[in-house]
Amino acid sequence: MKKVWAMLLVISLLAVPMMALAADDVLNVYNWGEYIDKQVITNFEKEYKVRVNYDVYDSNETMYTKLMSGASYDVIIPSDYMIERLIREKKLQALDHSIIDNLDNLAEGVRGYQQYDPDNTYSVPYLWQTVGIVYDTTKIDPADMEAQGWNAFLNPDYKGHVYMYDSERDAFMVALKALGYSANTDKAEELNAAYNWLREMDKAVRPSYVTDEVIDAMAAGEKWMALVYSGDAAYILSENEDMGYCTPSQGTNVAVDAMVIPANASNPELANKFIKYILDYENSLMISEEVGYASANAQVLEELSGEGGDYEGNDAYVPRDGYELDEIYHDIPEDLRSQYSSMWIKVKLHE
Amino acid sequence: MERKRKSPWSFMTNGYLLLIMLFIYLPIAYVVVFSFNDSKSMTKFVGFSLRWYEAMLQDRTMLESIRTTVVVAVIATAVSTVVGTITAIGLSKARPLIRAAVLEVNNLPVMNPDIVTAIGMMLLFIVPGVQLSMTTLILAHITFCIPYVILTIMPKLRQLDDNVAEAALDLGANPWQALTKVILPQIYPAILSGALIAFSMSFDDFVISFFTAGVGVNNISMYVYSMKRYNPSVNALSTLIVVVVTIILILVNLIPYIKEKKTKKEEQRL
Amino acid sequence: MKSFFRMTYPYILWIGLFIVAPMIMILLYALTKDGGNRTLIFQFTFDNFSRFFSDPTFMRVLWTSLRIAFLTTVFCILIGYPAALFIANLSERAQTMMVLLLTLPMWINMLLKTYAWRGILMNFDLESEVKVFIGMVYDFLPYMIIQIHTSIAKLDRNLTIAAYDLGANKWKTFLKVTLPLSVPGIISGITLVFLPAVSSFVIPKLLGGGDYVLIGNLIETFFITTGDWNFGSAISLIMALIIIASMWLTKKIDRNAQED
Repeated sequence: MKKVWAMLLVISLLAVPMMALAADDVLNVYNWGEYIDKQVITNFEKEYKVRVNYDVYDSNETMYTKLMSGASYDVIIPSDYMIERLIREKKLQALDHSIIDNLDNLAEGVRGYQQYDPDNTYSVPYLWQTVGIVYDTTKIDPADMEAQGWNAFLNPDYKGHVYMYDSERDAFMVALKALGYSANTDKAEELNAAYNWLREMDKAVRPSYVTDEVIDAMAAGEKWMALVYSGDAAYILSENEDMGYCTPSQGTNVAVDAMVIPANASNPELANKFIKYILDYENSLMISEEVGYASANAQVLEELSGEGGDYEGNDAYVPRDGYELDEIYHDIPEDLRSQYSSMWIKVKLHE
Repeated sequence: MERKRKSPWSFMTNGYLLLIMLFIYLPIAYVVVFSFNDSKSMTKFVGFSLRWYEAMLQDRTMLESIRTTVVVAVIATAVSTVVGTITAIGLSKARPLIRAAVLEVNNLPVMNPDIVTAIGMMLLFIVPGVQLSMTTLILAHITFCIPYVILTIMPKLRQLDDNVAEAALDLGANPWQALTKVILPQIYPAILSGALIAFSMSFDDFVISFFTAGVGVNNISMYVYSMKRYNPSVNALSTLIVVVVTIILILVNLIPYIKEKKTKKEEQRL
Repeated sequence: MKSFFRMTYPYILWIGLFIVAPMIMILLYALTKDGGNRTLIFQFTFDNFSRFFSDPTFMRVLWTSLRIAFLTTVFCILIGYPAALFIANLSERAQTMMVLLLTLPMWINMLLKTYAWRGILMNFDLESEVKVFIGMVYDFLPYMIIQIHTSIAKLDRNLTIAAYDLGANKWKTFLKVTLPLSVPGIISGITLVFLPAVSSFVIPKLLGGGDYVLIGNLIETFFITTGDWNFGSAISLIMALIIIASMWLTKKIDRNAQED
């Protein structure tokens, strides 16, 4: 018993020197895990002589639930449809464009996808991406893949060699797009058709339903094809040269993660400064280089994909833009989400 | 009392324990090895590198999460061990119906999915307008740790001979003496196990922590589970934990041993 | 013995506030209509429960979860019991050391260890179900060993020696003395393994190649992704009731066994 207490005591003593130093001005940032270059935060702290509390979440929905507790953050980086919901529920405050005076840095491509906030009243894009297929070019011919697009998920030749991303919204997007519908449909017959499409997919290729472990697995070439986000695909392609990336011609989802300031932020002025700071060329460059997702900064996007850039020749880095059939997600009502959940479970259970 | 038997039987039992330990430490060894991997992969070892240790040292959120995890786990363990022990002893003398009722409620946090406990706790705090913070996080941890302590101590108490405590009382001991001199020494291995389990539960909790911690309060699990993409720095972090704990274990075991030797030497000199 | 019972008052207060009160909220959510956006409205209904039972999918998911948890528990007892017994026969210092060695790995993040298992098991051609059970047993085994060990440590030795002296052989001593004494420990072990195992889903998800939809997964989906706390609460209550019933059965068997 003494031993255990002695051990615990030593451990707690070890923890004491790590006590945080107090700084006068604090900025609370809430972002996806592993979605930044930490050096950017450190630099910001030095330059503005502030302390940044950097918290992380793993999905828009966990973040939203946490916000319900009244947690007060200064900057959050949710996705498009979540921003739409937050704006509708009046949970965001307008940005100060006199501080964020570098909105011209935004890439034309990402600007086209800001239907949730066309004038950047509440949000400034951070990183963006498409959903597509990473595939092993030694197993599937690129021409075949481009020709099939989403229908590759129905091709029985690939049975047992397919990863499907375990996210109901993305899975239904694939089905809806393959059938020529909108990813934001609320028509019952279209949803049913998509449901049947997914059941057919389950039967035809028996995919493994996975989440982020797919990144490591595809980099190791464990299966022939997988549904992934382009930012993750960029990483997979840079790790494994056999891998190719296809953005299906039937259209796909474009997702924009953007910085917003919640209505209950305690330090909005500093938050505005932070957003401007991130949008600056150098900082955007560091972030996109580290994370592999497409930058919202035009110059960075060009440089990283251009000659000598980190992602030169990487098909997944720059998202397709201006394509008519591509769309962002809109916030869908709860009963529709509930339907998605129930139907998706049945697909996964092979019913 | 020590019976030294070097029979085939003890060879077998030790072999079995060794196998169990190998099984339990296999993934730990894997994590340690991959903390030196020169790639982000958790499946392919490409070469030796210290880059994840460098990355870890530069990651303040991660380093601070260690502090939070340890502080919360130590406080939660201390409180839950004391409260759990007292409650378990009290319950062992309670009427069966009350005991059964309390134990049933006690099982709820063990049985409920973490998300249910988490949302329930979060509601409990936010309905009366309590801001989430380090304190709410610790309260939540104490709440889900106590049941483990009670569950570990109860079976030991069931084996105890009631008469011993009563005899002590009859012989003029006050309840406090009966408790500290008679009951506690007998159940102390269970208290120890209970404390260790409580500590581990607190150390590894994610969901409940996520929904009860305030802004700027992160523990290791919150960090690990929120990773959009696997960051091997957490391998480095885990290796660090293993090393620190091992050193402490060795020290804690060596110090009494050295002391013993010293006193023996002194006795010899006398 | 009244003075002893008073010792439970603080905890009874504590669970009233921190366990019962939140559970009442969960119960209210389960028994009311969906107010939209996670708000509680007081329109009582059994819809959430009938929704669960009207769709066989949900029962199937629950059944799979119970089956995995049950088998995990059985494996943990079978593997853990001998280990606990052998540990109890070591010197006292070695016993403490073993218990510490068993708990240390529990301080390394579960997700991390599961990723490690994924990497290790990738090199072996195993059925995904085998992989799932390796992962599950791995995660829960220490609890089982510690619980059983706690119940047979210390007390056991003197009694077994007495039994020896009375002429009982090793096997008989085990059956008549050690095993019955360890039953409360086994029950505790079952509680600590079976109850959390039913709602755990991360290990089967990562090691089972996405072949497992489990009840914990379902509940989390409805609480987080869908945002339907009413249905999520109902599922968790149904699960809790079924577990309580099965635990009650276990205890009944234990009582019968002890009366034998």
